[in-house]
Amino acid sequence: MTALRAIAYQGPIVKGVSEFPRSPIPHTAFAKVAWPALPTGFAAQLLALLQQMEQSQWWPPERHERLQFRQLGQLLAHAFAWLPFHRDRLAAAGYRPGLEVTPELWSRVPVIARREMQSLGDALISPQLPKEHGAIIMDSTSGSTGVPLRIAKSGHVQTIWAAITLREVLWHRRDIRLKLGALKRDPEGRSFAPAGRAHPDWSVPFATVFPTGPAALLDSRSTTAEQAAWLLREQPAYFIAFPTLVRDVARYFLERGLSLPSLKGVNTRGEPVDPELRELCRRAFGAEVADMYSANEVGYVALQCPEAEHFHVQSESALVEVLDERGRPCAPGEVGIVVVTPLHNFAMPMLRYALGDLAEVGAPCACGRGLPVLKRILGRARDTLALPSGSRRYARIDMKSLQQVPGIVQFQVVQKTLHDIEMKLVTSRPLGPEDEEKIRAEVKKSLGDHLSVVFTYHDEIPRAASGKYFDFMSEIPA
Amino acid sequence: MTVVQAGLEAVPLSDLEGMAWPAIPTPIASRMLSLQQQLAHSQWWPQEELRRRQFRQLAPLVEHAFRTVPFYGRRLAAAGYRPGQEITEEFWRGLPLLSRVEVRSAGAAMRSTALPQQHGPLSETSTSGSSGTPIKVVKTAVEQTLWSSFALREELWHRRDWSAKVAVIRGAGNATTGERLPNWGPPLAGIFATGPVSAFEIRSDIARQAEWLRSENPDYLLTFGTNVVFLCQEFRARGWSLPRLREVRTIGEVIEPETRRLCREVLGAGITDVYSCEEAGYLAFQCSGREHYHVQMEGVLLEVLDERGRTCAPGESGSVVVTPLHNFAMPFLRYELGDIAEAGEPCGCGRGLQVLTRMVGRARDMVRLPTGEKRFVWQSTAKLAEIEPILRYQVAQIALDELEVRLVAARPLTPAEEDAFRKAVIANLGYDFRFRFVYRNDIPRAAGGKYFVFRSELEAPASG
Repeated sequence: MTALRAIAYQGPIVKGVSEFPRSPIPHTAFAKVAWPALPTGFAAQLLALLQQMEQSQWWPPERHERLQFRQLGQLLAHAFAWLPFHRDRLAAAGYRPGLEVTPELWSRVPVIARREMQSLGDALISPQLPKEHGAIIMDSTSGSTGVPLRIAKSGHVQTIWAAITLREVLWHRRDIRLKLGALKRDPEGRSFAPAGRAHPDWSVPFATVFPTGPAALLDSRSTTAEQAAWLLREQPAYFIAFPTLVRDVARYFLERGLSLPSLKGVNTRGEPVDPELRELCRRAFGAEVADMYSANEVGYVALQCPEAEHFHVQSESALVEVLDERGRPCAPGEVGIVVVTPLHNFAMPMLRYALGDLAEVGAPCACGRGLPVLKRILGRARDTLALPSGSRRYARIDMKSLQQVPGIVQFQVVQKTLHDIEMKLVTSRPLGPEDEEKIRAEVKKSLGDHLSVVFTYHDEIPRAASGKYFDFMSEIPA
Repeated sequence: MTVVQAGLEAVPLSDLEGMAWPAIPTPIASRMLSLQQQLAHSQWWPQEELRRRQFRQLAPLVEHAFRTVPFYGRRLAAAGYRPGQEITEEFWRGLPLLSRVEVRSAGAAMRSTALPQQHGPLSETSTSGSSGTPIKVVKTAVEQTLWSSFALREELWHRRDWSAKVAVIRGAGNATTGERLPNWGPPLAGIFATGPVSAFEIRSDIARQAEWLRSENPDYLLTFGTNVVFLCQEFRARGWSLPRLREVRTIGEVIEPETRRLCREVLGAGITDVYSCEEAGYLAFQCSGREHYHVQMEGVLLEVLDERGRTCAPGESGSVVVTPLHNFAMPFLRYELGDIAEAGEPCGCGRGLQVLTRMVGRARDMVRLPTGEKRFVWQSTAKLAEIEPILRYQVAQIALDELEVRLVAARPLTPAEEDAFRKAVIANLGYDFRFRFVYRNDIPRAAGGKYFVFRSELEAPASG
């Protein structure tokens, strides 16, 4: 029994050299000591965090909760001391400095929505940080609606973020000595097609800690054809991009019979990933998708399990709750709103922040990790269909049936009112009334018979400012 | 702010206000944990991969030895070494073994004249003397860091509860009435919160040790292997027990299966042994839940060689030859430790780390004093190591008040040297014995390969 647990704690056994990539060996800071490496400074700090998390991932949920509440105690004391907004709400919930934070007390702290955060502005930013937490880093997040939210972060938020970034790579056993291809918006505008930009390593935090292979970047504001040409030229081992970009380029590969034998894995984030996309990547690239769930304002929420398609909450970084309409925790199989409390952001404590996403709670994972499971992440609540009853539901369009109409290059379904849908289309040929009728029937089948559908035709449907793309958007505020 | 839990779940001490979990430890603790992160993975690598990594680490070590250690400049040149060359298995097999006597004779020529700057500062120790050939060893801060990280690994393997009560019986200074220490000491204490330790001097009457131990009633006991035997005999004779005891940890000597049985029978706890030496640090740790050992391959290349110098297959016993991979101040390349070990099959736990099933080697009898006291023989050999001509020694108790010092020496000791030896032994044993010095060409091992550095030749030896 002891031996079995020891294996579980250390992770799966690597059975043979061919089954590597093995865990990489860090950079060493000492001449002639190549292995085991002796890292220093930030690299040592990250590995020390990784060491803790490689153990804690196997802990039972109760132990995570105990430590989360211990950490929460630190955060609450700080928020209470420095931020009147939190002080009032915490006091109303029965919190007093020095009081132990219990789940009962916590459940009385009101959930705060994104809109409320936006309206509060800088009132949530702490005038003071604990010692040695570094300077406050300002950032903003736009989301799909384009209304920015100003975010302040303390330095160690980035440290924890970096450690979980490393965990993700180790979980999925990526061989970081190989080449990474990243398709993303380059704010410096230096990665445009066709050339993109070459980088000698995988950059922070990977290259801070480990020797890595090179990376190739391409600005996501490039065409699918340009992206495909870039992939074929660069031959990366790993490809990271938003799911909709992956989908487009995978289809492009399939339609033209192209292949990318170098590719070992696809890494996605930022938009929901559905089973079709996973299947598409298997067919187009022979590669599996590893998705992650994160948001700029809260950092990592969950990472895909290395042995399943669901997600593990990153309990070391955030307290994540999935709540039903009455604010009660959802049981496995239930869908609720995702409420996140980042545990280390002393610059802008976010206590029970409703991120605006929906997720389904999963049963404990067979992999043995004690980190809570999210079965599915259903995406933004504002990407849900508003119903005449006042409630909302997840909007899912059957992609396969739309693909049966030839000539559709791109589409986006926009809910204009409770009863009206605009079907935006980019097509390679004019569609006839019969085609439109077919599409209308599919939309109504997916979303509801009460809706009327109008068609508009475009040269291009642009992405949101963040670079994300939404198949469905509701203009009715959530 | 910090938590004390069973070993595995313990959370490091955080160095930063507000960051209780996960902890951001001090820079030194971070380095220790970053090593732990690597060791946690590498233990599962296949053995061939571990060995490949060892040979890669050997390359800078051998080159450094060639360039900066006079003894190795000559020896490696004779072996056909060329700087920059890869260290292959074949080259390695051709490199002559290094004996204790050679190390002792080479003196300062064994030391590097140009240590890489970051590896300092240096520290000097002497071997524990259980081999009979005391030598001085120079170590670096880097090696010390690795030593500590292996010690931490051993703690994690055995999932100790660091909040529990520990009793330590070893050379603890003047703790003849027992001493309270605030924590488990380095390396644990700088990284995790631990409970206190009670310490007692091993150079004290075994009856007093037993009394003290019984009154302490600890969760863990740490002491030397043969001292466990003596304690068990004492506890059994008095019909005592240690009801809280979870584990006995042993160091310094080879543990016989019989000792494990005795300990379980009398003290109701299993033994977890550590195989180490001053020259190369930790060599092997007992596997969790098993009685065999895993070589600490990340720190030492350990070979088990038969009489013809060939690698022993599982089930075969041979001489233990070690090469610590990170001592650039005083490299030991293929150093014959003087122990005998049996090579083991790969372990069912899944770790790729080389397996040793049992060791035969260092042993010692108990000394009986004319006062009636019985004592573990503590070897504090710093003073013996300074007596240059000694190549090997054995101290035998031939009468209650008389010791015979048997020496293999480059030349007879001067009266002053004999006096120094005498004083060191009297200080260790705590009685003003009569001495007789005799010179030999060799001091053979006892039956079974044991080397007795202290041998009781009284008619009713006290070692049991």
